[in-house]
Amino acid sequence: MQKSVNVKKMKSGLMQRRESRLGILLILPTLILIGAVVIYPICYNVALSFQKVALNPHRPSKFIGLKNYANLFSDLEFYRSLGVTVAYVLITVLGSTILGLLVALLMNRPFKGRKIARSLLLLSYVAPVVATVYVWKYMFNGLYGVINYITVDVLHIFGQAPMWQDHPVYSVMLVVFYDIWRVFPYAFLMILAALQAVDESLYEAAQMDGASAWNRFWAITFPELVPSISAIISLRTIWNFYKFDDIYLFTKQVPVLGVYLYETAFAVHDNGGAAAITIVLFVIVFAFVILFGRKAVRK
Amino acid sequence: MAMKILHYALVILVLVVTLFPFYVMLTTAFKTSEAAVAYPPQIIPKDVTLQHFKDVLNPRIFPFGRYFLNSFKIALTTAGIAIVVGSMAAYSLSRLVFPGRIIFKESTLVVYMFSGILLVVPLFKIVSSIGLNDSMWAVVIADLVSTLPAAIYMLSGYFETIPESLEEAAMIDGLSRFQVIYKIVLPLSVPAISSAFIYVFMIAWNDFLFSFTFLSSQEKLTLSVGLKQLFGSMDYVWGRMMAAALLTAIPVIITFSAVEKFISGGLTAGGEKG
Repeated sequence: MQKSVNVKKMKSGLMQRRESRLGILLILPTLILIGAVVIYPICYNVALSFQKVALNPHRPSKFIGLKNYANLFSDLEFYRSLGVTVAYVLITVLGSTILGLLVALLMNRPFKGRKIARSLLLLSYVAPVVATVYVWKYMFNGLYGVINYITVDVLHIFGQAPMWQDHPVYSVMLVVFYDIWRVFPYAFLMILAALQAVDESLYEAAQMDGASAWNRFWAITFPELVPSISAIISLRTIWNFYKFDDIYLFTKQVPVLGVYLYETAFAVHDNGGAAAITIVLFVIVFAFVILFGRKAVRK
Repeated sequence: MAMKILHYALVILVLVVTLFPFYVMLTTAFKTSEAAVAYPPQIIPKDVTLQHFKDVLNPRIFPFGRYFLNSFKIALTTAGIAIVVGSMAAYSLSRLVFPGRIIFKESTLVVYMFSGILLVVPLFKIVSSIGLNDSMWAVVIADLVSTLPAAIYMLSGYFETIPESLEEAAMIDGLSRFQVIYKIVLPLSVPAISSAFIYVFMIAWNDFLFSFTFLSSQEKLTLSVGLKQLFGSMDYVWGRMMAAALLTAIPVIITFSAVEKFISGGLTAGGEKG
């Protein structure tokens, strides 16, 4: 018995070396690609952030030490941007997760047409951002938008149509609504999957003990959902922290960090400054990933 | 019974609210230009016209065909590379034992969370310094950042579900590890590979940031950027814009619904860039 194990071990030792070579060979293209498109750019960006980058690509850039960072930290615009971003992240993450949870609970009860309803709910998540942003802009148009018609003339929520795309507060509301609408299906899908994995017999036992639906939710269902919900919250927080596309397309009034960064790089053409913003954003996101993200995804 | 009706009513309410923008997109594309700006808005269009679709497909008004082809080429190339490279890595990470494996596995997950705007400045500088500016390859490279880790994640999750005993049995029968991969693992993984392919295709097709930043000449633009230009033009013809938006969204919606079952699994396993 002992002998045969040893033979097997020796054999597998030989094979293991070959396997391990193959393993490295197969992962090599990925390592090269990620090195070239992620690691190298990040290092390059660190270097950029210490330079005054010349507009002309043939001109050399000048090393200026921490000046880009000093400029950034003394720029009021940066703090405003940070504040807007934190508010945006908080509301959208909470909003989309709660909505996703509610819809998942709704869709967890069997009913006719559930499959189709589930697919339809994913549409907003699948459609190209550019396409849906402009429908929203049309719907929220101040002159003939259907949202103004509904909120002003039908429901009388507002006395007068709000300037959704130009007012500093309403435009934040607009991009927040849009993001919740667009990403809640993600939370919905993940929570629904977790709901369907809950052991049915737990409910039966609880029902026999006379627990109410409300109690059953908090005692049985919710604890089972906690891992998924915390994963969703961490991932969405990270992703929304550097949100750019839809906000940029919607309005000039919501200067989140992503937009601030983009404008610094491609409107003001201050690449060194933009690199410094990138690093700051990077550090924030990285701290988040270390604290919550890895655990969330590993689950 | 009352519970059942209430439940249905809530489901319908949720569907109506979430689908309403798509309804507006669809109806506006068929409305006349006057009806699109009428107040109160015509929620159900009175007259139906196909003019906007004709305009969008008329190359003198909007080069839809060319933009479509550009988007298609970029998305297809990205998906092809991500799947070939990604399935190799996924197999390696899920089946083969080698030093550093755990670290690689975790780092792909971390990379997964960095992309988009965080890399746009250095990528832009690098891409222009190697002369790839205004080339579809610049967009492909940038799209790979966010899609390759996702592909690896989805595929290694799938490879792990293939019983290891199956592969061992084949190896005892004399197949090499390499033969096992392309005679057994790959044929078994066709559904997973095709859904990962479509998933990557979808992200690349929907990309706005990178094609907007890296591409500049008109004949190279993608649909996302072309749409933004159409929306930015002075003659606000909503019907035309909505027709174009609809035609841009339809390909991903159709392909997505074809593999939705698999993708939902992948999504819940990993998550998406978003």
